[in-house]
Amino acid sequence: MAETRTMTPRERVLKMFSGAEVDRPPCFSGMGNVTTAGLKNFGYKFAALHSNARMMADAAAATYKLTGFECGVVPFDLCVEAEALGCEINVYAHLEDILYPTIRKKIIHNEAGMETVSIPADFAGRGRIPLVKEAIRLLKAGIGGEVAIGSYVLGPFTLAGQIMELNDLLKLSFKKPEKVGRLLEMLAEAISLYIRELEDAGADYITVREMGATSDVLSPRVFKNLILPHLKKIFSRTRAHTVLHICGKTNDIAVSMTESGAGAISVDQKNDVAETRKKIGSALLFGNYDPYNVLVAGTEEAVRQAVRKCMDDGVDAVWPGCDIWPTVPVENIKAMMDEVINYRR
Amino acid sequence: MVTEEKRQELLNRLKNSVIQYDEDGAKEASNEVVALGMDANDAIFNGLVSGMEEVGRLFEAQEYFVPELLMSADALYAGLDILKPHVKQLDLGVKGSVVIGTVEGDVHDIGKNIVKMMFDVAGFTVYDLGRDVPLDKFVEEQLRTDSDLVCLSAMMTTTMVGMKKVISDLKAKNPNVRIMIGGAPVSSDIAGKWGADGYAKDANNALKDAINMVSSLKKMKEEAEAKKRG
Ligand code: B12
Repeated sequence: MAETRTMTPRERVLKMFSGAEVDRPPCFSGMGNVTTAGLKNFGYKFAALHSNARMMADAAAATYKLTGFECGVVPFDLCVEAEALGCEINVYAHLEDILYPTIRKKIIHNEAGMETVSIPADFAGRGRIPLVKEAIRLLKAGIGGEVAIGSYVLGPFTLAGQIMELNDLLKLSFKKPEKVGRLLEMLAEAISLYIRELEDAGADYITVREMGATSDVLSPRVFKNLILPHLKKIFSRTRAHTVLHICGKTNDIAVSMTESGAGAISVDQKNDVAETRKKIGSALLFGNYDPYNVLVAGTEEAVRQAVRKCMDDGVDAVWPGCDIWPTVPVENIKAMMDEVINYRR
Repeated sequence: MVTEEKRQELLNRLKNSVIQYDEDGAKEASNEVVALGMDANDAIFNGLVSGMEEVGRLFEAQEYFVPELLMSADALYAGLDILKPHVKQLDLGVKGSVVIGTVEGDVHDIGKNIVKMMFDVAGFTVYDLGRDVPLDKFVEEQLRTDSDLVCLSAMMTTTMVGMKKVISDLKAKNPNVRIMIGGAPVSSDIAGKWGADGYAKDANNALKDAINMVSSLKKMKEEAEAKKRG
């Protein structure tokens, strides 16, 4: 059933972030949601999107246009900050398959390197930062009147894992926490600089993705002592609406996540949202359907069921556990939208 | 000869060094084992490895996380380096070699590294290709090293598909090679469908299955040899 519009998706999302009443939870994401169905209309290759602002914006807008999914989000990979800091990336241009860009060459090669690395003077003009800004402007000009425009950055720990060997970072978090702390401090500053650029380009909300700190990998204690202080700084310096996303096991860190000062927290399908809701009170909570096994591989009925579960468990926005996988059937996103709109009506 | 009391003391020290990720402690105890002429096999399996088993338990109980696991592994390797030259025959009944890596397009290697460590501990010869490994490289490396086993890891549903190609290429070139796959999106169903010989959901099971596979492979080869001769 179509919705009798009381507010645009954009108004709904912005109102929710500001803590005002909304008629229903928005159905959107702060992470990548490009679809191969959207790319087909343009004849774009996935690998080409990452280095062309026009294509990036077209691809991001296509999801909303095809399905009504209530946002536009760029970029699609996790390498922008690392590249601007000096890393080399691989976009797999030679392959037809959908492979996400990765870091080919890191910039820190040993413990000593952690102390010599610094933010380049022209950081905001380096790598693809100008390109992502341009994509946000284009996206804003295209669909920004109807939906909120989002972008994301990495959290300092996850970014550290992109620019140095993750195994070393994990061990040093124990053995030399002060040294890791200094690196995170520097990276938190770089992240804030990048966020300022995204805000200037017109991003309405920014998701900070700190998946490297999931409790599948790192203990809640280390998260709280070593990482949380730097997340707090980032959120206190941000003017746009903010979300802190961590995937994997997060039940034991959900309270710390809300203490970060983020406007909302986002968790994936491994989180018991009903329990989290009890622990964090009325703080904004987004989640937590499985973006692959349900949205891509599931039936329409499975999708509807997952949506109802999210809403029953008490999310403020129906939102995926990670990037939506590009091969998602358009019909499944439409079914999800329909369920969000009509459940409890 | 060491007394039973001294032996127990050293085994405990080895074990605890691994559990408390104390590299220096593991080195000291290992050096003492060597100096006293104690059996190195005993020290490895009833000391270091038994410590690692406890670490695995703590990891499952979520008392330990990945950093603790990696540091314990370092302590274990530190002891192993000292003890290995003094081992008469280090194996768990099989001597196997394995090629391992995370498939192309995928940089998730935390899980793969844990699986690799289990193989190291068990005395396998391990050829670690790292992460984001071009698919052909697995085939090349298997042929180059004539390894018994190839282990593929993938953490994403898209990169996982690459395994299918590696499996069929490997089996075409070398029908005897054993292939095991793993990583969060992988299942035993998928392993079966794509023609892999095994799947394991975690590192402990990976090792158990690997040992079984390599043993049966060796047996098969021996029988074939015997037939030829006889
Ligand atoms: C850490 C992490 C990252 C780190 C990886 C760092 C590194 N060096 O590994 C970074 C930040 C770089 C990253 C990047 C991305 N990630 Co990521 N990441 C994770 C995360 C949070 C943890 C994975 C992990 O290490 N778990 C802990 C280890 C110990 O467990 P494990 O890997 O499962 O290993 C065990 C078993 O599986 C098994 N095993 C593993 N390998 C093998 C092999 C064999 C042979 C056997 C027998 C057994 C076996 O034994 C292991 C030990 O018991 C997961 C979410 C989650 N919680 O699982 C997402 C996740 C894997 N990532 C995901 C995504 C989407 C991405 C990105 C595409 C995001 C983007 N937009 O770019 C990129 C991919 C980049 C690329 N091309 O590779 C998705 C994948 C979705 C899907 N179904 O395909 C996940 C599942 C998140 C989610 N909730 O959806 N990620």
